[in-house]
Amino acid sequence: MRLTDYIGPEHIKLDLEGTDKQEVIEELVEHMSEHCSRCDADTLFEAVMNRERDGSTGLEKGIAIPHAKCDAVDKLRIVVGISKEGVDFEAQDGQPSHLFFLMIAPTTESGPHVQAIAKIVKMIKIDGFREKLLKAERPEQIIEAIERVENGEQ
Amino acid sequence: MSNPLGTVLLYIDGSESSITAAQLAIAMAKAYGCSLRAMYVVNENLLAELLKAKVFVQMEKMDYERDLEEDGKRYLNYIVKLADRKGLQIETILRKGVVHEEVAREAEDCAADLLVQGELGEVLSLRDSFYEEGERILRKVKCPVMVVRGADRIERMFDDL
Repeated sequence: MRLTDYIGPEHIKLDLEGTDKQEVIEELVEHMSEHCSRCDADTLFEAVMNRERDGSTGLEKGIAIPHAKCDAVDKLRIVVGISKEGVDFEAQDGQPSHLFFLMIAPTTESGPHVQAIAKIVKMIKIDGFREKLLKAERPEQIIEAIERVENGEQ
Repeated sequence: MSNPLGTVLLYIDGSESSITAAQLAIAMAKAYGCSLRAMYVVNENLLAELLKAKVFVQMEKMDYERDLEEDGKRYLNYIVKLADRKGLQIETILRKGVVHEEVAREAEDCAADLLVQGELGEVLSLRDSFYEEGERILRKVKCPVMVVRGADRIERMFDDL
């Protein structure tokens, strides 16, 4: 599976304004809802917050992968968000989170969901990849960075 | 002389490419009178890695494991129907574990003459190539392996079968 089949420029929000976990998740699910027919933002928000209550998806080095299974989406949906200021996402290393990958899939699409999460976890370990995304000024630069990795060019 | 392709093992992971591999395996089994076994493995290793990375919590991992098992059953049922449409009966195997090890074990247990699988996945780095399941299977199994490409051509051939 290729992430760029699921992430287009319209699925990227470079200027997250939320100042805490709840606000950032709200912004991300609203963005997803705007670009996904029949996705109700409130339903998505509930699904993601329910998952967060089981344990934070804030990883190390400013990355968070909030995710959930929810039949309000028609297929695996991904939104990438960047917060320049960073927010407390209860990350493993206690540092503010800047780069967010929101991933929601219907209950019947767990295979692609697991593969996409695993792929992002691998990608963020590649030297320079995370920095490239954080420096992006346009959504297309994020797509290009992901594509380069998927094409084995980085 | 006995059939050099007596038993063919087909590995599927639910990808479109593995469906293409299934179409070719069914065509071969029909043409050469092979016994065909289709296999899916719930990738417990991947789930364990995501748990270790703390992306998943324990309950969630178990939940996804059940989902993937259901996916596997659905994919295998689909392959059974594909084969049935061409008048062929196949055996199915659903396992859980480390994918390449389970496939290699099954290939040995059923004395497979050939393993058929879909295209190899794209790799993120040279190091990553050692962790791609298709690559690992290639390295691990002891029987000949066929990696299937060319979806359009194979689909046409399958339809004409």
